Amino acid sequence: MSTLTSVQVEKTRHEDKPVRRRFNPSTFAGWMGGVIIVGLILVAIFAKQLSPYDPAERVGRPFQPPSAEHLLGTNDIGQDILSELIYGSRVSLTIGIVASLVTMGIGTTVGLLAGYFPKRLGKVLMRIVDLVLIVPFLPLLILLAAYLGRSLFNTVMIIGVLSWAGTARVIRSHVLTIVQQDYVLASRTIGAGDLHIITMHILPQVLLLAVGQFVQATSGAILLEASLSFLGLGDPLQKSWGTVLYWAQVRGVFLTPAWRWWVLPAGLLISLAALGFALLGFSLEQVINPRLRNSH
Amino acid sequence: MRTKEKQNKTRLFFLGVLVAIMLIVTACAPQPAPAPAEEPAGLAEEQPAAEAPVAEAPSEETEETEETPVEEVVEEPGFMVERFRAAIIGDESTLNPFTYVTGEPGWNVLMMQYDSLFTMNIVGEPVPWLVTDWSLSEDGLSYTLSLRDDVSWNDGTPFTAHDVKFTFDYLTLNAVGRFARDIRGFESAEVVDDYQVVINLVNPNPGYVRLAFADVPIIPQHIWEGVNDPQNHQFEDVTNVGTGPYMLMEYAPDQFYRFVANENYFAGMPTVGELVLIKFADDAGAQAAFRTNEVDMIFRVIPPEQIDLLSMVDGVSIAQGPLFGTQMLMMNYDVEPFNLVEVRQAVAYALDREDMIDTVYLGAATAGSNGWIHPDSPFYNSQIVQEYNPERAVELLESVGIVDSDGGGVREYEGAELSFELITPSGNALRLRLAELIKEMLAQVGIQVNVASVEQTTWEDMVWPEFDITFGRSYELSMWGWSAPVQADVFRAPELVHSDPLIGPLNLSGANSEDIDRIANEMASSQDPEYRTEKIKELQQAIADEMPFVILMYPDGNYAYWSSVYDNLAFIAGQGVVNKLSFLPESARP
Repeated sequence: MSTLTSVQVEKTRHEDKPVRRRFNPSTFAGWMGGVIIVGLILVAIFAKQLSPYDPAERVGRPFQPPSAEHLLGTNDIGQDILSELIYGSRVSLTIGIVASLVTMGIGTTVGLLAGYFPKRLGKVLMRIVDLVLIVPFLPLLILLAAYLGRSLFNTVMIIGVLSWAGTARVIRSHVLTIVQQDYVLASRTIGAGDLHIITMHILPQVLLLAVGQFVQATSGAILLEASLSFLGLGDPLQKSWGTVLYWAQVRGVFLTPAWRWWVLPAGLLISLAALGFALLGFSLEQVINPRLRNSH
Repeated sequence: MRTKEKQNKTRLFFLGVLVAIMLIVTACAPQPAPAPAEEPAGLAEEQPAAEAPVAEAPSEETEETEETPVEEVVEEPGFMVERFRAAIIGDESTLNPFTYVTGEPGWNVLMMQYDSLFTMNIVGEPVPWLVTDWSLSEDGLSYTLSLRDDVSWNDGTPFTAHDVKFTFDYLTLNAVGRFARDIRGFESAEVVDDYQVVINLVNPNPGYVRLAFADVPIIPQHIWEGVNDPQNHQFEDVTNVGTGPYMLMEYAPDQFYRFVANENYFAGMPTVGELVLIKFADDAGAQAAFRTNEVDMIFRVIPPEQIDLLSMVDGVSIAQGPLFGTQMLMMNYDVEPFNLVEVRQAVAYALDREDMIDTVYLGAATAGSNGWIHPDSPFYNSQIVQEYNPERAVELLESVGIVDSDGGGVREYEGAELSFELITPSGNALRLRLAELIKEMLAQVGIQVNVASVEQTTWEDMVWPEFDITFGRSYELSMWGWSAPVQADVFRAPELVHSDPLIGPLNLSGANSEDIDRIANEMASSQDPEYRTEKIKELQQAIADEMPFVILMYPDGNYAYWSSVYDNLAFIAGQGVVNKLSFLPESARP
């Protein structure tokens, strides 16, 4: 009951002072996420200026502990780990973003078609969605990665191809309601074609939703890229955060004190990036998703 | 309206909780490492202090015994150490000649229970073991072997020439894999008397002593003659009957083996009373157990990055010596300009092997000889030089008109940029690192290399399709390595370089040099050891001149062991320390 009253009180306050917004944890989280992401993207863009060394160059003895010259020590062939991580943000973020673009592309297309043609095509598509959803995700991911071989392109495609189903569902349900709107009906009665209606009336409506899905998918994609690379299923020659962990693993660093400056920072960066996108995604969903949208 | 508001509020609350969970989950997920890693790391620092007082006493003892005259040690009853525990990775089944699993350490442990006619000495040369005297007929077809008369099987039955004949006949019928390959060319065995046997071959094979006599365990006729399906035969007792210094007393599948010393061993009393092999699931587990001295040794080569870390532990030593595996760079003759000897030479000059060894192997490797054979081999041709000389590399490239005419940093050959793909198997981390260094070093002389890490099978298909060189090859540059047996018999060298696929079935670069072919043919035509030694040295020079591949290095064998517990291991060149000599007094070693 107390919750109810507090809601009442807040509600009244809110109505009394419409100018001053109440503290919204979701918005705050969104801002936090945004700051983290912008920060990481800036690091990626200015990697050249920020990193003390060229990450591909051997600049010291292998396996050095942190020192003034190498803040996070050197790796197994004497490359600067800090520089690797800074440059690694480029690959990790790019893969995360591109993979979730693929996710969004496939998911939105399937969702649009399934929602707009709910009878035959929709049913077939949704069964495919069910299939993709029920197949055990991680084993399939590892299997595909091992089968297709290691390259940036493959990593991106595998993540994209396996994680679009959720997006397709959300988009479809939204399309189903839009199709019932009067203006769609009106458009149809004056003879507009399907393509016209989809591109002019429906797509703009679901695009925002897709963007929210995209941000959330990015968080997952970054984690997946790191997992694949760590398992040695990514391209070990591309410097990403996951490959930094991979080399730590294959050169036995996990058993030595070096994990503190080699494994931990990479792990924290991956967590930070995933967290940033997750926070932003949740916050965006609050604003975008009609089912969660606040009605203030 | 109110209820809807409330719903939204609750939803928001749950979302908050969700975000918190996400935070925890994402923060934890990608770093499974720290938790398990912390333990061994901490232990590594603490253990020595706790272990030191215990460790010192036995190490002093060992030093003393080393200084005292050898005879005394032998005469003294009792063992140097009562018990020695070693870690193995993977189960080796019942460890008899038909059931052991891995080449290393499976075969090595097998040979602690059994003996061969010859055995390797420290420098990796076969010397008589069960044999006292031997001779080879003029035609190179018959070995006459006189056997020791003081050897008995560890069930008490005397060992005789009949067992030797039986072993060869039995393996001819039943062996698969290693021993079948070993005895290839065996025709018949004749028992002259109880302690003399003649082995007849189909064709002369000067490598037969090393390949067969020093590799094949002699098995007891009275045990095996009734066994028809040796791979699957279940003995009632796990005890394997051999002549070797150790007897298998207990075997718990996937857990451990317990061997007990054969106190009547003909070569001398073993130094360790009981040998226990404990099975571990992986390297990490074995290393953790080793660091805390739950095992005294790991029966496996440790990776280079562990050498310094483990040798810092008080009481731990590293046994280091040559193994005959290789790391090499293959160049495909079918891809221009690798058909030009100047280009292949230039590539070799441009590679700084010492730098590669220091960086990737942290010093634990021997620089490759251009003549293929390991410098520690008695057949090594010491005239062969290899040097890191990028200026010479540039001269050689320019001598055949390969220059950088457009100033782009990459040289051109007949108008096309010198840019090649270097393939390396993705599962081999050290090889991948070597490939990266090769890329860097060849860039210095204007050759562009793109490293491609490919699946093992793809890589094999490109370099050695169907494991038959007559199917050709489709790589440009490739990382490669031959395992120790290819080099252990130096007279197999023509297999790598001879242009005739029948004589050179391992010629993966497509080398075709008249000099090499001629010397190899001359070598094959003779049975005279001196002449063949002379020819193998000549052949090394010819290989170095032709440079069909670059031998980058021979990784060393590094074995970690608690020298405070037992410090009497014998490193056999090319075979490592897991051998029976390691557990025999020095006076008993050949």
